[in-house]
Amino acid sequence: MNLIDIRNLSIKLQTSTKPIFAVDRVNLTMKEGEVRGLVGESGSGKSLLAQAIVGVLDEKWEVDADRFHWRGNDLMRLSAEERKAIISKDVAMIFQEPMACLDPTTTIGEQLEEAVDVEQLSGYFWQKRQQRKLAAITLLHKVGIKQHEVCVKSFPHQLTDALCQRVMIAMALARRPMLLIADEPTASMESTNQGQIFRLLASLNQLKNMSILLISHDLENVTHWTNTITVMYSGQFVEAGTTEQIFNQPYHPYTRALVDSSPKANRMIPNKSRLMTLPGSIPTLQHLPIGCRLGPRCPRAQQKCVHAPKIKNFHSHQVSCHFPLKDNYS
Amino acid sequence: MALILTGLQKTNMLIFTLRRFSLFFFTLLLLTMLSFSLSFLFPGEQLINLTGQISASPEQLAVLADEYQQQSGLLSQYVSYLKHLFQGDMGYSMTSHLPISSEVLNRLPATVELACVALLVAMFVGIPVGFCAAIYHRKAPDNLILTIAMIGYSIPVFWLGILAILVFSIQLGWFPSSGQISLLFEIQHVTGLQLIDILLSDSPYKWQAFQDATRHLILPVIVVALAPATIFMRLARSAMLEVLDTHYIKAAKAKGLTFSQIIYRHAMRNAIIKVIRDIGLQFANLITIAMVTEVIFSWPGIGSWLIESIYQRDYTAIQGGLIVLSSFIFIVHIIIDLVYAALNPLAREPRHGT
Repeated sequence: MNLIDIRNLSIKLQTSTKPIFAVDRVNLTMKEGEVRGLVGESGSGKSLLAQAIVGVLDEKWEVDADRFHWRGNDLMRLSAEERKAIISKDVAMIFQEPMACLDPTTTIGEQLEEAVDVEQLSGYFWQKRQQRKLAAITLLHKVGIKQHEVCVKSFPHQLTDALCQRVMIAMALARRPMLLIADEPTASMESTNQGQIFRLLASLNQLKNMSILLISHDLENVTHWTNTITVMYSGQFVEAGTTEQIFNQPYHPYTRALVDSSPKANRMIPNKSRLMTLPGSIPTLQHLPIGCRLGPRCPRAQQKCVHAPKIKNFHSHQVSCHFPLKDNYS
Repeated sequence: MALILTGLQKTNMLIFTLRRFSLFFFTLLLLTMLSFSLSFLFPGEQLINLTGQISASPEQLAVLADEYQQQSGLLSQYVSYLKHLFQGDMGYSMTSHLPISSEVLNRLPATVELACVALLVAMFVGIPVGFCAAIYHRKAPDNLILTIAMIGYSIPVFWLGILAILVFSIQLGWFPSSGQISLLFEIQHVTGLQLIDILLSDSPYKWQAFQDATRHLILPVIVVALAPATIFMRLARSAMLEVLDTHYIKAAKAKGLTFSQIIYRHAMRNAIIKVIRDIGLQFANLITIAMVTEVIFSWPGIGSWLIESIYQRDYTAIQGGLIVLSSFIFIVHIIIDLVYAALNPLAREPRHGT
């Protein structure tokens, strides 16, 4: 059974003239225990998609989907409160800029304690306070913070970014979620700290069978940690498949360009030669092209591309392109 | 791990306090310079402006000139002026011929009482209402509160004061129109703050006196508090909106906290901190309003006395009142800064480097 199954999820912004689809009919499926990467440039709507799943989007965004199943439950049929109850129980999210995501005027300990699930506590109410404290300290140990005494008394600005992210992960773990959505958890972090955070997430995935949706703009980095990858471009679904499929045999011109632009995947290129990049830059929300939004930048674009392509499925490798690069690999 | 020890936090707080006090010291120094230079700028003889002794004989004037070192340079004149100030000697009032310091001591407590009560009322009404407006952002309550805040802020104080007297004390007769307490009650002067003095006194009519003083206080306090309260409403509203838009509120939502939990545990504390920083600035404004209100309600405070002195060209009184009122504003400002630092862990940190 799929953990999460989303079909044609759109997020639109009502403007005075016409609605803008910031996310346009995106599909996402995840199995239990899977680590899926969600890759795209900044502004490709990947954070919006994640926030729509968790339900923390502002009111100005309208979310709409053909199918939104969570472990077989159709969430679209439930009321907003019921949806929130299910999601906040089973899905946790960590954000980029962890320091900004912690209340600057409350100590780490207090913030951890309020994340602790009441149902996990046993005993009378006078024992609960102590239990909460213990639970918070156990959570800190789980994410590898040993100096819990100093940590619970600190304010967020007294910790480093990597420590704050660990605390955020600890808070996310408090409810024992089935799915952890990590929205660029290591942006603006040094590479040693990045490795620590990714290793922590990987160990959580292996030890607790927790699924992870890892959002990143860095395809190359993400491939070390994920089983499957979904690629998005400018709010549209591009390609999904296993990490090997995406990295070694991308079918979509955009994914091809992403892979080509990373130096590690192109060890063979001669010294001091230019890396392949697509011309132009990602379109702004006000000037979205019709049809396939990659169209104006795509090296393989033809007249047909003014209509949005249907998703083609090649052995669970899905691609949304009229002219996939399928025949290039044989 | 870059964990900062708690011992360092205490020294940070101490350094913060010392910094505020040095600021206070230098501001006061500048203020005394201004006040000293006023004695030159006012018409008339500088020595008489400084001491207020208009009917002194030439012999007395010679003694005074010696005391204030009129023969030496400007700097030593200023130093001797400072010496007199620190001894509590601000000269004599030109109109009443009483020492300025005793006049000020008699009248300042009434202003302190009025201003502090008005500040508290403005805070306790304005801030929660502003938070309400932010929570119902772009809905009917928000628009209503904003409208009220705009109207309240635009009403001139003197007009509001007179209108309040007209309606509530003359037509309806609910509250007295002037003074601090009915003349029937005799309260011993201990701290000068009327309400506290009443509570300290052992008169058998203590509670009647307390009620009467409160009834006298209500109208002026409302008049003084209205404009600051509307400012606090708008400050609190924008602070709350800003806080509700931050990442940590979004993260708290993702954590599964309910809306009221988010408001009470995270949003309110952060928003109040933002508002408190501006309260100090608004206090100077409040004192100006209080001065006008004191004249309307014949409140025996330093504001009405100062305005009276300005009308009567009582230069010595103007200089003294200026120093006393502005140091009062500074002291309140510093107290609010300290409260702000106590509430906000970020403000206690050293400004430069980490």
